[in-house]
This record gives sequence, C-alpha cells and structure tokens, in this order.
Amino acid sequence: MFADLSWDVLVMQLFFGLALGSIYVLLASGLSIIYGLLDVVNFAHGTFAMLGAYAVFLAVTLTGSFAVGIASAVVVVAVLGMAAEFVLLKPLYGKDPLLPLLLTFGLSVAIPDFMKIIFGLIGKPVSYPEALSGATTLGPLTFSNYRLFVIFFTLAILISLWLFLKKSDLGMIIRAATRDNLMVQVLGINTSRIWSIGFAIGIGLAALAGAISVPMMAATPDMGVEMTMVAFVVTVVGGLGSLGGAIVGGLLIGVIVAFTSLFAGEYSNVAMYFCMAVILLIRPRGLFGERGRE
Amino acid sequence: MIDPAERQKMLQEVAPGPRSTIVWIAALALAALPLVISVPLATEILIWGISGLGFNLLLGYTGVLSFGHAAYFGLGAYSAGLALRYWKVGLFASLAIGIVSAMLLACFIGALAIRRRGVYFAMISLAFAQMLYFIALSPLKEITRGEDGLTHIPSVAFFSIPLDKPRNLYYFVLAVTVLMLYLTWRVLQSPFGKVLEAYRENEDRARACGYNTTLVKFTSLVLSALFGGLAGALNTLYLSYVPLTTLYWLTSGTIVMMTILGGKGTLLGPLVGAGVFLFLQNTISLYTPRWEAFVGSLFVIIILVFPGGIVGTIREKYMNRKMSKLQHRAAGAGE
Repeated sequence: MFADLSWDVLVMQLFFGLALGSIYVLLASGLSIIYGLLDVVNFAHGTFAMLGAYAVFLAVTLTGSFAVGIASAVVVVAVLGMAAEFVLLKPLYGKDPLLPLLLTFGLSVAIPDFMKIIFGLIGKPVSYPEALSGATTLGPLTFSNYRLFVIFFTLAILISLWLFLKKSDLGMIIRAATRDNLMVQVLGINTSRIWSIGFAIGIGLAALAGAISVPMMAATPDMGVEMTMVAFVVTVVGGLGSLGGAIVGGLLIGVIVAFTSLFAGEYSNVAMYFCMAVILLIRPRGLFGERGRE
Repeated sequence: MIDPAERQKMLQEVAPGPRSTIVWIAALALAALPLVISVPLATEILIWGISGLGFNLLLGYTGVLSFGHAAYFGLGAYSAGLALRYWKVGLFASLAIGIVSAMLLACFIGALAIRRRGVYFAMISLAFAQMLYFIALSPLKEITRGEDGLTHIPSVAFFSIPLDKPRNLYYFVLAVTVLMLYLTWRVLQSPFGKVLEAYRENEDRARACGYNTTLVKFTSLVLSALFGGLAGALNTLYLSYVPLTTLYWLTSGTIVMMTILGGKGTLLGPLVGAGVFLFLQNTISLYTPRWEAFVGSLFVIIILVFPGGIVGTIREKYMNRKMSKLQHRAAGAGE
C-alpha cells in the first residue's frame, strides 16, 4: 500500500489539505470572533455559510461574475446576520447563556428546510471562474489554480482582518470589548452597536467560507450543519475564542482530513473527531485556549 | 404576624415538590392515550419521552446541555439490535445491553469532557455523536449495514406475550415509561436530586458546600445515558430495524427540542413535549415533507417567548395566581 507513495503524492495531499483547511480557518475564525465578543456559540454558523453559497449561485447566475458573487454573498449574508442578531439574539443577552445556542440551533433546523422549499433538494453547482480554472505545473507537481486562489485569498482576508483588529480604531474597540465589555461601556461607547458589527464580521467570514467553497462542492441545503460541525471541532482543537487557534486548528484539521482520505478513505469523516478527542485528552483547553475559559 | 408553622404551610403551598400522585395520574392518562391517537404514534411518544426524561435530568435539573444524546439513543438502538440479530438474545438481555453500552459511552465522553464549561460541553458532545454516526456509516459498514440500517431483527416476547403486536408492545413500553418516570421522581426527591439542583443554581456555592461537582455532573450524565440507551433499545423493538438516522445530529436536536417545548426542569415536560412534537410532526407530514421548517421556527419562538415550555409556563401562571392569593390572605391575617 505504501510502496507506490512518492513525495509528489504527499505534497499534493498537503496542498489539498491546506486548501480545505483555509475554508475551515475562515469558518472557525468567524465563530471565534462572535464567541469572544458576544459569548454566543453560534450553532447556525454553517447555516449562514450555506446562505453565502446560495448567494454566490444566485449572483453568478444573474451577473455571470464570480467576483460580484463573492462580494454580494458576504454583504447580503452579513446584513441578514445583523438583522438576526438584532431581532432574535438581543432579547436573550443577560439571560441563561445556553439560550442563544439553542435559538441558533432552531435556526439551523428551520433555514435549510426553507431553502429546500425555495431551491429544491438538488445541489446548485457553480463552475470555476474562467480566470481560475486550469492548473499550474511546477516540476512534477500540478496545482489546481482554484485551490491556490483559495489559499492565497484566505491569507489576504486574514491579513486584512489582522490589520483591521490591530490598527483601526474600531478594531481596537472590538478587541477591548472582547476583553472587558463593561469597561468599554463605561468609557462611553455604545457596545451594543459594536456587538452587531462584530456579529456581522463573524457571519461575513462564514458567508465567505461558504461562497469560495461552492465551485469545489456545489451549494446544498444540508451543507450547513456539516460546516457548523467542522467549525466546532476546529474551535475545540484550537481553543475557544482564540483567533490564532482557529488558524492553526483549521489548517491542522484540513491537512489531517486530506491525509486520512488518502490512506484510509472510509475514516476520512471520523478523523477530525478523533483528533479532537486526542486534543481533549492531552490539552483540554485547546492548542491556544486561555486557561480558565474552557 | 403569621406564626412560623402557618408560614411553613404557605411556603409548601407556593412551591410544592411534585407529589408521587403526578406519576400515577400520568400513568393513567398515558394508558388511555391509544384511545385518542394511533397506537404506533403513542408508542413513539413514550419512547422519545423516555429519552427526554433522561435528557431533562441533565439539562433541566443539572443545567448541563448535551447536544449529543443521539449517541446514547443510537448506540442503545444499535447494540440492542446487533445483540438481537447476531446473538438471538431475549427481551431483557437486549434492553440491558442497550442500556449498559450507552452508559459506558457516557463514562467515556464524561471522562473526556465533563469538566469543560457549558457551551464547550455542548459542542464536544455534538462532535462525539457525529463521530459515532460516521463510524457506523462507513468503517463498521460490515456490521451495521451502513446507510441501509440494521434490518432482520427478530421479534421478541415478554415471557409468553409476543411483542410484535402493536398494542402489546405499547403496554410493555408504557410499563417501562411509568417505571422510568417513577425513578426520575425518586431521584429528584433524593438528596442527590437536591445536589443536582444546587449545582444548576450555583456551581461555586455547591462546591463550597463540599460537594464534588464534577462527580455530580458525571453521574447525572451517566444516568441520563441510561434513559437514552433504554429508549434506543425500545425503538429497535418498535421498528424491528435500526435506521442510521438514530445516530444523526437531528436525533439529538429532536430530543433537545421536545424537552424544551414541553418544559425543561419539569417532571412531565419531556413527555408532554414528545407528545406535542410528534403529533405536530405527524400532522404536518400529511401535507408537506418540510416539517423541519415549521418545527424549527416554532422552537425559535418558544425560546424567545416561552423559555419555560408548555408545562413550565402553565406552572408559572399557576404559581403566580396562588402567590397573589396567599399574599391577599397574609394581608388579611396581618390586620
């Protein structure tokens, strides 16, 4: 079984894993930002990613441009997320911390069914944008252009997110509110608006993850829960509320899934949960989790 | 002023613990259930009600949210089914195998994750249930028959009464339900039940009182898995089949939704919730296969408007009326 393995195959699989992991990173970092700021574990996170995937499908069908598709997916779904936060989550702040989790769970049951009513049960495919189809050859290796795009696009998003959080005033306020919400309020800042913005950013990242994954695996109503599950596992592995954890955890899980599907295909779905169990055994708070927040 | 004995009596009247008569009244009502709705639906209500009773012990009384109860339900269903199919065991052995395997799984998950904070535990339990789903789906396909589910499960008999007749099975499941309801009531009346509630109300204070809160949560989880495993095994008897969906995340979600719909932290809430949920599901399914859209939206509204659920909201209304009456009387006595 291992005789025909060459370095090429391993490098290719690593590449696949990094592309998959990039999508996981986007998902988990959104979840982490929302949890850090609002103390809400968003069960509907993958559901919003699914909405992003459908938004791309609609926009590409209407305009034919993939770039417009991604941009509109992020904006539309982030606005939807903001509305959901305002109408549904706001009344629950300050009550039992499990209620928002339960409410977003209800959304993740209901919304896919509404999508089935509107778009039908069959997945909606979006073809690779022309500029990104094809592959780049590097010696004996061939990299799919779209997967390269996914990796570098995620990198660009993460860098701009980092710059936004570190350098801009709003980013600084968000970081401060994550650390101590009451103190920020005392300084005369309307934190409920900050929370809405933070929630919209988190949802926007989820929508982005859904949007860029469509050409690789079509938009289906039930993709949402799978994505929520991935986001949860990555978050437990990386540490809840930690952005660095989301990045390292996401890439790690992506690579692990890619390699298990190479060596033991039928375990590919089980591998990430197994990895989570191992992390829980040896480092319960996750790779980058703060002590006391687990 | 009111004298202390009178005050004690009034307090008892305002916040009574559920009396054992509730168990027997519920038993009578459930015995009459097949007169109102079809026998299979009634059986399903009892089976899901049992798993809800266990889930409620954990969420409603201990305050721990598990999103992975499908793991206990499904493992109970599969292990009972496998034992019936391959080992040809009897009724009680199959139930016992379902219960024990679910409790062992709870010990494993509990040992790994029970120390984690509330939302963390919810995420981890969901992930473990999903892991079991994928294990049954493909690596263990040879044993579990993967996506097709486990078929060819022989029917069993309770001593000499065959349980493949729907009505016989219903009354057998009813007896088990009443037993489990009584057991829940006993647990809640016991000192251990009070510690569970103490943990839910204030973990730090319960620990300061000298209770090992980790052990309390762990025991509650394992006890809850007992109910889940039993319900799963009963579900196998009822269907003579184990569908893969018993391990699916929506099974966990169904148990969560039923319990909260009925009223978490109330003795009868899970049974009422299972009844209303399954009745709605059955009725809506007559018109459209998209019942999840309706039930999910209903659940969102329940969380927003009536977080106490059906039984919890009724109880609160009743308490408020009683309280104002008592205040009235106290004001009269004070003059």
